[in-house]
Amino acid sequence: MDHRLAFHNVIPHKHKYHRTSDLDSFEFTYKAEITSVYKLTEQEILYRIRIMDPEDRRHFSFHPGQFIMLELPGIGEAPFSISSSPSNHEDIELCIRAVGNLTTVLSRAPRGTRVGIRGPFGTSFPMERMHGGNILLIAGGLGLVPLRSPIAHVQEHRSMFDHVDIVYGTKDASRLLFKFQYEMWKKDDIGLHLILEKAEPSWTGPVGYIPKVLEEIVKSRDDSFIHNTYAIVCGPPVMFKSVCTMLAERGIPMQKMFVDLERRMHCGMGKCCRCNVGSTYTCLSGPVFDYWTVMNLKEAI
Amino acid sequence: MNKHEPTQRTYLGIPVPRPKVAFFELSSCEGCQLQLVNNETTLLNFLSLVDIRAFREAMTEKYDDYTIAFVEGSVTRSDEIERLKKIRATAAVLVAFGSCACFGGVNQLKNRFQDPAWVKKEVYGSHPIETNDTARPLEDFVKVDLKIFGCPVKKEEVEKIVTNVVLGKTIVAPKYPVCMECKANENTCLFDLGEPCLGPITRGGCDSWCPNSRFGCWGCRGPAVDANVEQMQEVMKKHGFSEETMLDRLECFGGFAGHAAEMRNNIKAK
Amino acid sequence: MLFRTAEKTELKALFDMLVEKNTVVGPVQTDTDRMGKPLFAFEPVTDQAKLRLDYTTTRLPAKRYFLPFREDLATFTTDGRDWTKTIGYNIDRPYVLFGLHACDINALNKLDKVLMGPVYPMPYYAAKRKNMFIIGTDCRPQPFCFCRSMGADTVLHGFDLFLTDIGDKYFIEIQSAEAYEVAKDLRTETPTEADHMQFMRTVAEMNKLFTAHVDTTDLTKILDMEFQSPVWKQWGDKCLGCGTCSNVCPTCYCYGVEETVDVSLKKARKTKTLYSCNVVDFAEVAGGHNFRPERSTRLKYRYYHKHRGFVEAYEESLCVGCGRCGEACLAGITVPEVIASVRGEEQ
Repeated sequence: MDHRLAFHNVIPHKHKYHRTSDLDSFEFTYKAEITSVYKLTEQEILYRIRIMDPEDRRHFSFHPGQFIMLELPGIGEAPFSISSSPSNHEDIELCIRAVGNLTTVLSRAPRGTRVGIRGPFGTSFPMERMHGGNILLIAGGLGLVPLRSPIAHVQEHRSMFDHVDIVYGTKDASRLLFKFQYEMWKKDDIGLHLILEKAEPSWTGPVGYIPKVLEEIVKSRDDSFIHNTYAIVCGPPVMFKSVCTMLAERGIPMQKMFVDLERRMHCGMGKCCRCNVGSTYTCLSGPVFDYWTVMNLKEAI
Repeated sequence: MNKHEPTQRTYLGIPVPRPKVAFFELSSCEGCQLQLVNNETTLLNFLSLVDIRAFREAMTEKYDDYTIAFVEGSVTRSDEIERLKKIRATAAVLVAFGSCACFGGVNQLKNRFQDPAWVKKEVYGSHPIETNDTARPLEDFVKVDLKIFGCPVKKEEVEKIVTNVVLGKTIVAPKYPVCMECKANENTCLFDLGEPCLGPITRGGCDSWCPNSRFGCWGCRGPAVDANVEQMQEVMKKHGFSEETMLDRLECFGGFAGHAAEMRNNIKAK
Repeated sequence: MLFRTAEKTELKALFDMLVEKNTVVGPVQTDTDRMGKPLFAFEPVTDQAKLRLDYTTTRLPAKRYFLPFREDLATFTTDGRDWTKTIGYNIDRPYVLFGLHACDINALNKLDKVLMGPVYPMPYYAAKRKNMFIIGTDCRPQPFCFCRSMGADTVLHGFDLFLTDIGDKYFIEIQSAEAYEVAKDLRTETPTEADHMQFMRTVAEMNKLFTAHVDTTDLTKILDMEFQSPVWKQWGDKCLGCGTCSNVCPTCYCYGVEETVDVSLKKARKTKTLYSCNVVDFAEVAGGHNFRPERSTRLKYRYYHKHRGFVEAYEESLCVGCGRCGEACLAGITVPEVIASVRGEEQ
């Protein structure tokens, strides 16, 4: 009687491009190289990274609003919103502020450093659904980072949208991100409305909080504007709450407003529960939620 | 140690400095420093990670150019205050090394006696030694940049911290209590065995060193973040342990000094 | 499902047959508590005499064998700026789990849904789960058991063999082909109608023994309604935030990932450690912001995940009513009491 039980190898073969259902892709990492390190402000650095394997690079694609897990072996792994155009299959751009463990070490990493990336993960902004409408892209602080991807989509498909406005608020002028792109955005007929909480005397724009600028935009447009408008909002909870409440009062339905929630994922795949809001996985059901869903998430606000 | 400057080390192409490190001891048993030299298998790697300029437990030569100072022990004499201030003036990073340096440690037990003269007489008898009335943690005198807890410190944890320091990683002590690691080690809860234990309120990171040997926690690492000391008193009471049993443990290493004082006040008020 | 019966003496034959070539893990007595009661744990067993199928419940589930508290997700070797990632699933053999109660098998079935479902199945769990030969046994409900309220007092699948003591013999359920091969070498008989009746009587007797209950009627809605209830603060004041409830829970799977560089700077590892949502920094993010800084919000979150979120996703709760958390909680917080208080019932 030989009752030696058979050992089951759960991983028969690799399907590295069917990532959601394949066991072996769980820890699969694309090796990527930092090809450019560009200091945006005193705190934020824009990294351009490129997946090293050409075939992998060709297969890698993402939607605006999705995030990746970036890993520096032995240092750590953390989620980052992709901050570049989805149509660019060569490079991915990430804008990172050195606040934690990984990001601090990363801020010393030279061009040529090899990192690992997993993903892309999460939900995205439904850009196609917004075709034919107006878009308000509203960002507070670092919130502009994930918005740069839908902005790129808008630029590449400008004729698909009517009015497009970026409303961007930061603490002060030194914190403004992606200044080098402002002229290009304007040339693509995207309204750019900056507002600072605190400004030097040389600042000619408005001072205060984002809803103030939004009020003016809405007031300056005719009545039909608001009924055909989508909003994409990213920023701290107090900010998106006040913005969405104001827009809802003006008449934008909750399901036409999209909020990007930032949490600290450890896995990105609905396992570790670290990013849960209420009992919803931000990594699977988010990070992009419509505002109705956000309102129904316990703990979100 | 190295006469020649070694070539710049890197990790994944990121430059890794080799900081000049020195170890010092104030009033202590030097047991924490001893922990470091305990395990020869990793000692060489550890020594190549940093440039050790002074380390009485491991070498005789001494240099006083260092950027990171590990200071073991508590401050119990006035000359130690001066020494500590000098170390602080030299070191860019001052590390409180072990529970004596962090909280006063076992030495601070003397602080609970009202009459310091009596303590001195009991301890030193007819050979008096000049000491302060209380044993104090380093941060009562100088700014401390980093605390490494434990009586003694855990070698694996120190190596990890030092590795993280040279790599530029952020250093965060565990915020959870000892219970987390104790459960992971699948120990029988000491309360089940009728032993008191401060595991539920004491900072982890020790890999539940004492409970692994069926020895209840005495709180050498001080309180975990958000430790529920009030509820711990209830737990002790429920299991039939006196307030003095709990106070003995709370007062042993000094990490819970504030909690112990409050508890004593509450008892007095009753 | 195939049903057989066997004489009690066949238990040793079954054990010996499996232990010869495999690692068998089962309930053994590891300690005696201060009241003189035995404490049990799942440990490797080589001698059937040590196996205590009459065990009440173990302090910890057999978690080590399906969700180890710590395991490496990957190791790295570095070479200049280049690195190589090596992934292993940390299992090298099948394990026989001999003597799991229905609640613990149901716990695995629940974990299967989230860890082996269609969305990002987790190979570290799957590799272990697929290499488990599970022999279930019946049990006598303890004062803290509320598995019946959670629908976890019987188990329909997820095991290989299930033994029910029906007095003078075992009633055996054979669930897998592998189990069938094993059972072939035992002396078993086709159950008679009398055996069926005896089986049903045994289960009915067991059901009478439950004293702890949880009313789960409309619980997801009630939890939603009572999100701001003051009872959470009361429980939070009691909670030690020590994470023990999660660590002794057969269904708690939340974890954290940490990467460490070896002191040689040539190797690194990525380690997964089971974590607890009751621990202070569970929801802390880079930069220090904590989404659940109070013990009450953390404790509440644990109940929301188990009794609301999981129900929404899988139509069942992430609790099998084994009662381990309440037994292990030094502050004496138990699921039946917490739920009753949320429902506004006096205990």
